[in-house]
Amino acid sequence: MTLKLNRRGFLGSAVAGTAALSWPLSSTAATSFTMQAAWINDAEFAGYYVGIDKGYYSSEGLNLNYLSGGPDVIPESTIIAGRADLALTTPDTTIKAIAEQGAPFKIIGTQYQKNPIGIVSLKSNPINSPAELIGKTLAVPPVNVISVEAMLKINGIDRAAVNIVPYAYDPTPLIKGEIDASLDFTTNVPYSISQQGVEATSFLLYDFGYQVFNDTVVVTEETLKSKRNELVSWLRASRKGWEDNLRDPNIWPPKFADSWFKGTGRSIDNEVFFNNAQKSLIENDGGIFSMSEESIQANLDSLAKVGIKGSRDMFDTTLLEEI
Amino acid sequence: MVNEPSNSKTMYRNLILLVLLWEVVGRLDLVAGGALPSLSEIIIRMWIDRHDYPLHIGSTLYASSAGFLIGNILGVCAGVLFVLYPMTLRLSRGFNIAIFSLPPIAIAPILVITLSGMAPRIVLATMGVYFITMTATVVGLSQADSRTSELIRAYGGNKLQILRLVQFRSAIPSILAGFRIAAPNAVLGAILAEFGGGGRWGLGTYLLGSLGRGEPDRLWGIGLMATLISGASYFLFVVISNRFLKGSTSITLNTAIPTDITKNEHVLKTFFITMGAIFLPISIWWALIFFSGLPSMIAKTPWGVVEYLFFSNMAEAAQGRLVAAIAETLPITFIGMTAGLLFAFLLAIFSSLYFQVIRAFMPIALITQTMPLVALTPLLVLILGRGNSLTLWVTISVTFFPAFVTLTQGILLVPSLAKDLPKAYGGSKWQELIIVTIPASLPYLFAATRLTVPRALLGVMIAEWLATGKGLGNLLNQSRGYLDYGMIWTVAAVSVLLSIIFYQLVVYTERKVLGKLGMKTAE
Repeated sequence: MTLKLNRRGFLGSAVAGTAALSWPLSSTAATSFTMQAAWINDAEFAGYYVGIDKGYYSSEGLNLNYLSGGPDVIPESTIIAGRADLALTTPDTTIKAIAEQGAPFKIIGTQYQKNPIGIVSLKSNPINSPAELIGKTLAVPPVNVISVEAMLKINGIDRAAVNIVPYAYDPTPLIKGEIDASLDFTTNVPYSISQQGVEATSFLLYDFGYQVFNDTVVVTEETLKSKRNELVSWLRASRKGWEDNLRDPNIWPPKFADSWFKGTGRSIDNEVFFNNAQKSLIENDGGIFSMSEESIQANLDSLAKVGIKGSRDMFDTTLLEEI
Repeated sequence: MVNEPSNSKTMYRNLILLVLLWEVVGRLDLVAGGALPSLSEIIIRMWIDRHDYPLHIGSTLYASSAGFLIGNILGVCAGVLFVLYPMTLRLSRGFNIAIFSLPPIAIAPILVITLSGMAPRIVLATMGVYFITMTATVVGLSQADSRTSELIRAYGGNKLQILRLVQFRSAIPSILAGFRIAAPNAVLGAILAEFGGGGRWGLGTYLLGSLGRGEPDRLWGIGLMATLISGASYFLFVVISNRFLKGSTSITLNTAIPTDITKNEHVLKTFFITMGAIFLPISIWWALIFFSGLPSMIAKTPWGVVEYLFFSNMAEAAQGRLVAAIAETLPITFIGMTAGLLFAFLLAIFSSLYFQVIRAFMPIALITQTMPLVALTPLLVLILGRGNSLTLWVTISVTFFPAFVTLTQGILLVPSLAKDLPKAYGGSKWQELIIVTIPASLPYLFAATRLTVPRALLGVMIAEWLATGKGLGNLLNQSRGYLDYGMIWTVAAVSVLLSIIFYQLVVYTERKVLGKLGMKTAE
């Protein structure tokens, strides 16, 4: 035990000199507010960058601390651990955790009305509908397997008829034909594939009955009570940022080349493509982040198909009304 | 180890041939339809990307050097403590193996929740270093020539004086070999934490952002950069170690028979020490969760895992999934273990016979140690498919390196007089190897086995996670996605437990075999 504790203590002092070390932010300061994104910096979160750069959060009285995500960052864990006030995540994981483990979450809005995940294949070996997946090899990130299973079930396809293998973020096996299709953001990966001189085709799971949101805004019940005003402010500022960003999707990504998108390993052209492709998936008559009663019901119905038993009270639409 | 100019030439010739072969194969897209780029393509791409690199390299260097430094200090200190008071070594065994065999894919999300900024990266780098350096220190200290120690003792010297005057000196080559293996581990640990942890800078972050592009030359560039960083450190310690080694190999074979400390021990004492070794890691686990202050939904205590697995409403389903996963993972783990060890052993033997050939192979060996496997996955699945051959390849690449370096070290330390005997009788290199070198380096063979065995499971789990989608690796990854914290902790605990069992089996065999031969275990 001493070893371990010594190490921690030593670590602390070794790192303390650098600005990088920041212990969990205390939530006492009224203006300090932390959001946990779902992935690394890319166009998926451009609306928040616009909001930060144009000062929308600060004029709402929020000092926004933005945390990037990654494969090991489980957004819901960050809010349970008190490291962030709010997280962007997917409704299936949140609802499953509430239903099965009694996790204290509420979904207060959604960035994507239509989930951008879809089945991507090559035009030379196209897969245009769930039925065409039969007998094919499909690479799926393990966390999304349940979404694919739901889509297959909704379309009456036997799960065993599709060979599902893990997908490790790299489209090379698809381009080289080792797999027939992969599950990915349709707003993103067709661009990378086209850069390799191959054309891709894709369909959304959403368009084949799996009608769930993505990048849902999730908070703990406690934060919902104690920071309601800040959450409404965040929604208002973020909506403004997204409206600005989507007004002309070509404008903002190049402006972030030396800030938010610097050195991410991705190209600005890729972000412009992404930003254009996601416009129709985010925009909504009720305003960005809104959740209509029909779409909430569609989420619950889709998830029920794979045994995730959600209910209307897991969503709280009252904050959206206060924007 | 003879530095004849002609041998040196041979090495450079082999290295150049290797690079040329790579160039041709890469340029002509011969491997996996071009998934393996040529060296020149990679370098050109690195030049194009040169403005991206500095901040990423700076971040990785910072985390990995901090982890390297902390891990080595802890490793050497722990090693000294363990040799001075052997009881502490037996008590800490469970803890030590747990650190060594903890799957990074299980520990990384937990580190990311509990620590922030650079800390998770430094911790993962430290964890990669500690066990290797600790083992090297203990091996080095306990293999010191007991005759010299006896001399000091005869003149009234105490434990500490023996340590300072004899053991530490003779341990230096072994400790330096430990530093050599530890360096790539520190870099890889830092990169793994960067890859998953959601930070802004670091080669791991850059790799994650680049993966989606489907451009192997970029990925290989990042891997090569990581190799350069750990390679620089590796060769620094080779140079230092060559200096020290010259004066520290015994000239003659030590024929003194070591005493077995456990022989006359009371059964009850053995029992309590064993219990202590089992409960130490468990209590550390418990204490860490207590001090982290994390809510019990995320952070499961040992009891939390038992509860999840046996008493919760999900217990039955959880057990079923766990047992099915173990049944998929275990058989291939045993094969992987054997393959990794065999590969390391053959490589070490080959290296003692044809030293220059192996020197040319070292850069490639280093690449396999520092190139994050996630970047190699497309290439591997294209060449090997998604079956057992891929799993074996990954397992060998995860396990062989520490075993290889340890074995090579053991072979180099065989006293030259003992080797001269078969030579004097006109024996060939092979005969000398079989009669003298292999038996004399047996303690190192066992030490190497101990390094291989706990990691084999880790290798199999990585392959399952990245490519085959089976077994414990896949179960762990899926549980992370479903916020099934009970299962995340269960898989981590089960994999550590299995590794400890494998390790103990080796230790048991080792005692029997070496005891019979009158040799000391290189523990």
